[in-house]
Amino acid sequence: MAIGNQRGHQLRRIVRVNEEIKTVIATAFTINLMAMNAIFLAKRAGTAALGFGVLSNELRRFAIDLQKQMALLSEMTYDSVSTVTALLKQARLNQMLKGTLSVCTGVGKRLVEDALRTRLEGALSDRQEQSDAINRRLSQMITDTCQLVELGSVLARSAKIEAAYGGKLSVPLTQVSSDFEQSIGEIQRSLEKLTKHHLEESDA
Amino acid sequence: MKTTQTIFEDGGHKWIAVVRDPKRPAHVIDTNEYLIAHDDEAILCDPGGSEIFPAVFSALSVEFDPSRIRALFSSHQDPDIISSLSMWLEFNPEIKCYLSWLWASFVSHFGGTEKTFVVIPDAGMEIFVGGLRLQAIPAHYLHSSGNLHLYDPKAKILFSGDVGAALLPAGEDSLFVENFDHHIHHAEGFHRRWMGSNKAKREWCERVSRLDIDMLCPQHGAIYRGEDVKRFIDWFANLEVGILKT
Repeated sequence: MAIGNQRGHQLRRIVRVNEEIKTVIATAFTINLMAMNAIFLAKRAGTAALGFGVLSNELRRFAIDLQKQMALLSEMTYDSVSTVTALLKQARLNQMLKGTLSVCTGVGKRLVEDALRTRLEGALSDRQEQSDAINRRLSQMITDTCQLVELGSVLARSAKIEAAYGGKLSVPLTQVSSDFEQSIGEIQRSLEKLTKHHLEESDA
Repeated sequence: MKTTQTIFEDGGHKWIAVVRDPKRPAHVIDTNEYLIAHDDEAILCDPGGSEIFPAVFSALSVEFDPSRIRALFSSHQDPDIISSLSMWLEFNPEIKCYLSWLWASFVSHFGGTEKTFVVIPDAGMEIFVGGLRLQAIPAHYLHSSGNLHLYDPKAKILFSGDVGAALLPAGEDSLFVENFDHHIHHAEGFHRRWMGSNKAKREWCERVSRLDIDMLCPQHGAIYRGEDVKRFIDWFANLEVGILKT
């Protein structure tokens, strides 16, 4: 595949990664609101829902941490877009230089050869290293986010168990904890897609 | 590949026209580039779009060492004028780009740094190339709102950007205007539509009438020389411009 096309694919994949990030941020925001409601509900349920209250607090903290983490991921994908765009521009310049070389003779040919050599040795490889470094950091951050969401999933399951001891409010607490579980499930699915797109991008 | 033709030569002082590319894709407008060389330095007028850079560079390098090009003159901001800027900077990162102050921050989207651009005030300015004095002449609103032409008083040549441009049909590819009355039909529609102001046009005609011009070199089409220069200015002065229908 031509380098330009390859970079074009990379840009499209980054767009898909960004779409998943937006979905996760929106869901994390919903979890945050749900957790606030759950905290009030647990207070109303009194001592029977103390455990549920603690878990709701933890889920709220989880949602805030996740939003922050996703904002960082979003920033990193922006860096990735900048680097890929620069690579795309460099590839286009190289392509034009090669086109010029094919029709040049004499002093012009020598100048183009020098320019191509300098470019291939310098700017392009620097940009490629930069792109690789961003990809590595992005991979690490996605792994960290997956672990964070795993923790969220455990909290949601525990909240479901605690809801059973919620006395008179056991039914609404169970409903809320099921909502938590469902939302975190959505986040997990988004993260799976995000990881897949990112891996495709890294391979490219 | 484009070809070059020396249209003026006096010792180390040269005007080289880079013209007519038979392999140019039909969807890309044909352009003329002009190199003004004096001793060991040169300025390239309207270096062209990035798509035609290989053709311009290769044609030019047959005649002249491109690393001696110290500056680019951009009559205005259009892509067919200056989108090759980043390519020229590849060969000489120190190259200067002279253009209207109006467009410096816009053209920088094509490449370059703060140091690349030398902004020309509305009134124009002198530009020196290897000891040769050139004059940037205001041509605002013809067609761009920040538009300049370049006059070489020694060679008596005016580079006139889009003024004088003609969209020549296939087969009519003479470098010079051979039959003014026939040629001007190819220029009429272009000038009526592209040139936006009758007032600006009249002022330009008055301004350039005061110059001693042997050749008027547009960025598209053929070069006017001798009596055809005056004929063109008179024709343009009487043409109603800034209208949609041709």
